[in-house]
Amino acid sequence: MPIADSLANVGLSHYLVLSAILFTFGLLGVLLRRNVIVILMSIELMLNAVNISFVAFSRYSPNGNMDGQAMVFFVMTIAAAEAAVGLALATTIFKKFREVNIRYFEHLKG
Amino acid sequence: MPVLSENLLFFILAGLTIFSGLMVILQTNPIFCALALAMTMISIAGIIASLGAWFVAGVQLIVYAGAVMVLFVMVLMLFDLKDEVRAFSRGLVSGFVKIASVGIIGGVVTAAIWMSAETVFPTTPSGLQVSATQSTKQLADLLFKKYIFSFEAMGALLLIIAIGAVALSRIQGGTHADR
Repeated sequence: MPIADSLANVGLSHYLVLSAILFTFGLLGVLLRRNVIVILMSIELMLNAVNISFVAFSRYSPNGNMDGQAMVFFVMTIAAAEAAVGLALATTIFKKFREVNIRYFEHLKG
Repeated sequence: MPVLSENLLFFILAGLTIFSGLMVILQTNPIFCALALAMTMISIAGIIASLGAWFVAGVQLIVYAGAVMVLFVMVLMLFDLKDEVRAFSRGLVSGFVKIASVGIIGGVVTAAIWMSAETVFPTTPSGLQVSATQSTKQLADLLFKKYIFSFEAMGALLLIIAIGAVALSRIQGGTHADR
């Protein structure tokens, strides 16, 4: 696809590429950061990237069905639940070690 | 020929999203990470709104940029974290391997989307452009009829999560209790 054409016609692939880039950033954050809270934020970033692709697929589907938008609600619910449990775990780590580094997770057992 | 301003809007919002998403993983102070994440959520809501999903965009603003971000920032304030000395994981080789593998994943996915763009994906949205109230009505129909079981399961999940979060965070005294 030529560059000028892709600049003039924003299509489904643009949204999908944006979603892939955001997902990659989230993955990078999970792999590289040590702070539990920042890791949780990166997971939120990945879930948001998936939301973009869901809505884009729903918009560009040939018969205009809205199932993708309904899926976004479920993803949002899961994300909120995951954030709540993750932050509760982070407070548990902080109470014991006064720091929220991911390496303290191994001491949480028992 | 699509309207030029819509394309411009997409590229501005996409640039903002990518920039603030990068800032989430590059800032060493967690509170700036939270700020960048809020910015990302807001620009993603803009992108979703530009796709015509008005209700989803509103929910994205309320749930993510509102509730989830407040939760994050509140926990950050509770911890009183300073600028991190070692924000990134140690190990030069493993760090390089991580960045390279993530880059390969991103590159492969992006190239696959771009190569198949002409054959598989349509460049024009479906002709059935409905009004905002109409699309919200359709969405409600889907959620409360077709996906009603999943919807109720989500409610049960949220209840369990609320109980679990409380049970987890009240182990061994309060946050400022003596060690």
